[in-house]
Amino acid sequence: MKTVLTTIALTAASLFAVAEASVVGQPAPAFTLTDSNGKSHNLADFKGKTVVLEWTNHDCPFVKKHYGANNMQTQQAEATSKEVVWLTINSSAPGKQGHVDGAAANEVRSKVGAKQTAYLLDPKGDTGRAYGAKTTPHMYIIDANGVLRYNGAIDSISSADQADIPKATQYVSQGLAELSAGKNLSVTTSKPYGCAVKY
Amino acid sequence: MTLRFLFLSLLALSWSLTGLAASEPQLTDHLRSKLVAAETAAQPGRTLDIGLLFEHDEHWHTYWVNPGDSGLKTEVELTLPEGVSASGIQWPAPQRFLLGELVNFGYDGRTLLPMQLTISADYAASTLPIAVSARWLICEHECIPGKADYRFELPVANSAEPDSRWAEDFAKARARQPQSMDIAANISEQAGNTLQMTLNGADLPENLSDWTLFPVAEELIAYGPLPHWQPAGQGWQTALTRSDYYQRLPETSDWLLVQGDRALRFTATASSAEAANAIGASQAVAVTDESKPTLFLALGLALLGGLILNLMPCVFPVLSLKAMAAVRSADNRAALRHHGLWYTAGVVVSFVAVAGLLLVLRAGGEQLGWGFQMQSPWFVALMALLLFALGLSFSGVWEFGGRFAGVGQGLTEGHGAKPAFFTGVLAVVVASPCTAPFMGTALGFAISQPPVWALSVFVALGLGLALPMLLLGFVPALARLLPKPGAWMTRFRQVLAFPLYLTVVWLLWVYGEQTSALSMAWLLAALTALAFGLWLWNQRHMMQSSGSKRFSAALSLLALIGAVALPLSSAEQAVPAAQPSNQAWSAERLSELTARGEPVLVNMTAAWCLTCLANERVALRDELVQSLIAERGIHYLKGDWTRYDADITQYLEQFGRNGVPLYVYYPRGGGEPQVLPQLLTPDLLLTTLAEGGQPPKPAP
Repeated sequence: MKTVLTTIALTAASLFAVAEASVVGQPAPAFTLTDSNGKSHNLADFKGKTVVLEWTNHDCPFVKKHYGANNMQTQQAEATSKEVVWLTINSSAPGKQGHVDGAAANEVRSKVGAKQTAYLLDPKGDTGRAYGAKTTPHMYIIDANGVLRYNGAIDSISSADQADIPKATQYVSQGLAELSAGKNLSVTTSKPYGCAVKY
Repeated sequence: MTLRFLFLSLLALSWSLTGLAASEPQLTDHLRSKLVAAETAAQPGRTLDIGLLFEHDEHWHTYWVNPGDSGLKTEVELTLPEGVSASGIQWPAPQRFLLGELVNFGYDGRTLLPMQLTISADYAASTLPIAVSARWLICEHECIPGKADYRFELPVANSAEPDSRWAEDFAKARARQPQSMDIAANISEQAGNTLQMTLNGADLPENLSDWTLFPVAEELIAYGPLPHWQPAGQGWQTALTRSDYYQRLPETSDWLLVQGDRALRFTATASSAEAANAIGASQAVAVTDESKPTLFLALGLALLGGLILNLMPCVFPVLSLKAMAAVRSADNRAALRHHGLWYTAGVVVSFVAVAGLLLVLRAGGEQLGWGFQMQSPWFVALMALLLFALGLSFSGVWEFGGRFAGVGQGLTEGHGAKPAFFTGVLAVVVASPCTAPFMGTALGFAISQPPVWALSVFVALGLGLALPMLLLGFVPALARLLPKPGAWMTRFRQVLAFPLYLTVVWLLWVYGEQTSALSMAWLLAALTALAFGLWLWNQRHMMQSSGSKRFSAALSLLALIGAVALPLSSAEQAVPAAQPSNQAWSAERLSELTARGEPVLVNMTAAWCLTCLANERVALRDELVQSLIAERGIHYLKGDWTRYDADITQYLEQFGRNGVPLYVYYPRGGGEPQVLPQLLTPDLLLTTLAEGGQPPKPAP
């Protein structure tokens, strides 16, 4: 009986709420992940700072497009120079395309000259699923209060062609600029494009 | 001369075979592709079909116009001479690919992406040069972008032959072109992150459950969950989960329904302009938006259902009692109004409370359906006691108003707010055994909807039930129609006791089915104790000595307590009634039989479901039906939902049902199961069970 009552109380509270992970305007799902150097990071550690999440898989042509054109590294450098935390997350499962261990991740980082704050390993895909990360790249912006502000594509032209980058609106750069100016983001969600995350 | 002729003929032959109607094949990663034309020549003033012929390596696929969760649609750029124009790709129906947790839409194997050229009548050149450059993404688990340029020249002539080399590819692409369907399709925002889609029209396939839905527009719905179609009115309805990137509903959106090589296209209209434009409009506003025809229909039906409920044998006597109270005060319209409003409030609040509890329990994972309260023998026993007590009161054995904890007072007399409110509650309580069989389908449907919608259907039902009382106060003509109070009222009241007794008999039988003959005997004893207690309670007013008054009061209280306690202490759930084991439904037995491809007729029923019993009498036990079942070796599996049964509840849910009856026929050879209407006739069963017969339309 007690469990029934508890169930009633709990479900009554949640019945009309939308129980959805990673909804823009809601607190971003918490996570703790180990980075390529073996250091553990908790999202809560970065409270007070804006955080960018970037899902990656270095063998994916769409990731190659943005690293090959130096677009991703430029955005990382610009963001981190403004005290923004940039976390690259790899959710490729062992045996699947793009899976790396710490050493391999560091090799990828140095090869492309990446400028992220940390490269996090999510081989079980729990964090990727919690955020609903669908493609590589797939980008998220979390504000200083831990609220998710952007979920979607890196830019406005879904293609694998580097030539499209200058023509596209870079949603993350734009969002970060608007956020630091205290404005609302003009684009809060967009459909991400790229390779499927290899869970 | 001969040699020259031979040479020219060979040249012409080789042209027609390879050189003309196709580009050189391009070999890129995991794809062999070329540009082909359906005919051997271009004709001025006519159209010409061309296409990109993709031969994918095994397991690799390219993408549709909406690629799904990841991927990119194939893009083409055509370069054509002046006087020739082109359509874009005329997308054939796509396939659904599952990549782990993601869903993609596209093509594999050998696929032709057709395009159509229109050649102007004054096109004068002797050849038509066609150049196409294409970009695509090809994926297995990994993805590789590809691109290629194609070019060929087609002779211009006044007649042309179909090029047999690709005739089959063009035919297949044509067959998979979506056909426009003339139906009314509506889509609306709902609470709970869902969209509601409603399809209506004669062009609809008979059963949507084996058709795959593809949204042409991106960022509307999540692709993982498959829609669960339910019959609604004359059409079908489903809830769709919104995409994570959902922003707003466009005024119109295009969709495909695909089954095998058949594809149907329709355009859905956002149900209201406000809902479509109001970004982030409050969900409550979106749901109560009255311009939604389906919501309107559901509410209207519920209202009508509530109104009819007034005539059910359990409710009618109670209501008549109220009407008689109204007769006595027909002149005092203000009082009637006041009373009607409070009564309505009581009815609506009770309905919403029961429905809310049901929704909350279900959300908590309980396997319950409407009518769930009737699955509890205690509830059935208490209902029997309550209705019996009411019947006795109607028969004049005792009078309400003996200060029954303040509630009794309100049952018949007075115009206070509290009595009126509790009369409404009582009306719902006595209505509840009747609602179970009567309203099951409609309410079951409501329950499967988002909570706000479901609750508003219940509100409408309550309003329907309360409507006669409400109208009495507000329509003077109605109050004037009431007969004059008089001696007839007593007799009428006594007559009304009998439907109540009959309801008690029915409840006793249900109770007996749920428990055992012994428990039923205890319940009968309890009814007797109740009758004795109430009789004695009434008698004590006429007693002289205060001692015997007190004694009889104590005794009648004891009898009443006993009346309630007896069934509570003796109600033990019986072992299910013995049934030949080859007839009893179980999920394992069903899957075992269907796996062998044997024909199976499933009957989900309950002892308290009147429709079910009527169907069994009229149709299922029909001699012809029985002999057909025997003749064709059809397995007849009966599931009994009289008592709580999570497996059956789950099975009902598979078919979008929330209550019994449910009849499902699995044809021989493992075909798709057919859901039969809730009202069976022998004819219908005979047609359905006879193989090759036309399946009946599902009941609305």
